Amino acid sequence: MEKELRDQAAKLLEEGTVDFIVGFAAGTLKHTTTPLITGDKDATSSLVINPFISNNLATYALEISGRLGIVAKGCDSRSIVSLIQDKQITRQDIVILGIPCSGLIDLKKVEKLSGKERDEIDDIAVVEDKVVITIGSEKREVTAATVLFDHCLGCELQIPQEYDFLIQGPANEIRDNEASREKIQELKQMFPDQRWAYWKQQFSRCIRCYACRQVCPACFCERCFVEESQPRWVSPVSLWQDNLIFQAVRAIHVAGRCTDCGECERVCPVDIPLRSLSKEMYDLVGEMFDYKTGMNAGAPPLMTAYELTEVESLIR
Amino acid sequence: MKPKKDDQPRIVGFLCKWCSYAGADLAGTSRKKYPSNLTVLKVPCSGRIDPLFVLKGLRLGFDGILVSGCHPGDCHYQTGNYRARRRIALTKKFLEYMGVPEQRVQASWVSASEGTKFAQVVEDVVESVRAIGPSNLFNDEGK
Repeated sequence: MEKELRDQAAKLLEEGTVDFIVGFAAGTLKHTTTPLITGDKDATSSLVINPFISNNLATYALEISGRLGIVAKGCDSRSIVSLIQDKQITRQDIVILGIPCSGLIDLKKVEKLSGKERDEIDDIAVVEDKVVITIGSEKREVTAATVLFDHCLGCELQIPQEYDFLIQGPANEIRDNEASREKIQELKQMFPDQRWAYWKQQFSRCIRCYACRQVCPACFCERCFVEESQPRWVSPVSLWQDNLIFQAVRAIHVAGRCTDCGECERVCPVDIPLRSLSKEMYDLVGEMFDYKTGMNAGAPPLMTAYELTEVESLIR
Repeated sequence: MKPKKDDQPRIVGFLCKWCSYAGADLAGTSRKKYPSNLTVLKVPCSGRIDPLFVLKGLRLGFDGILVSGCHPGDCHYQTGNYRARRRIALTKKFLEYMGVPEQRVQASWVSASEGTKFAQVVEDVVESVRAIGPSNLFNDEGK
């Protein structure tokens, strides 16, 4: 799989089809990867495909000018399609190197499960529907679902639909929407004021680093409302009230663009369960408007389209 | 802008300039009575209303938000209210999920000729918001 990708990437650069390749390289820490952006065909030999390629590289399509070859998992390809729908990028400028995905491993879950820190874990490998964790001489086999990211369990597109080249490889069935919505269901069982208190408590930890916004391919406004000063919508100081407004409004603003790639929650330095917001929004969009983000490049974006009669029951 | 201390509950209404605002005007010129709890803000179109406005209103201490525009098919800009409808429906459902009682965010269609309906809508909204009590959502103490 990796070799095919490296060859293809090198070929694209050599032929001049693309100016840059955006992919993943091994990270400096164990069991991590880092985005690799290169115009050098020799550097493509450091491209990797493994269960730790968590970044959604569609973000870079907005930031780099020139023709790009982007390595895309299912969710990334949906984000790219969504950006095309929103006319933020043009299809001709992007070469999508689709890769099949069997889910990404959540290191935090592995650490919790094994009781060891990242550096003490020697190897984590996906073997069909199992994950083998090697610590020293001890090998432990667990079902993949227990250590995959929650958002991967809700995955609806393991093999990209929109691509120029599809790298061949396995895509094991991992979908378990129930498990992926577990935290949301717990919240829904609470009373409204308990839910509000929960979010109040979560957002009082927010340090407003904006990592969630920066990593999100759906957040492409050049000027975000939180930074506007005339009028000043929210305080730049990290108050829970304003943090909550920031996230609530962000979730609504990216409705119909969010592909539930789970990046916002992964990058949060204070572990706010942001996906419990974005996934609920994702499902609401599906339920209310029968809309799936990034599945059809020709369709109008959710918020510019309408049906003559819909959701009238919510309006007096 | 801050809500006035008296008149509980305090409601802010975003009214579209072409229909609902004119409807409110008609209610006034026809001497219809409706509660004075509503603070009216005129917007060029219901499509102008960002979900941010709703949250900002709640943050400022209003107990309820009313969004009102032209009936479907009547938008001065053809499609503004259709877009507003999707947005406000999602906002309502999503805030409900976060723990905001559904009565706090309400929407209505009021045309320029519906002065009576406007008065009725305001009365109903005020009544339903009064029933759930003042909003403590963004207070530091309390729930």
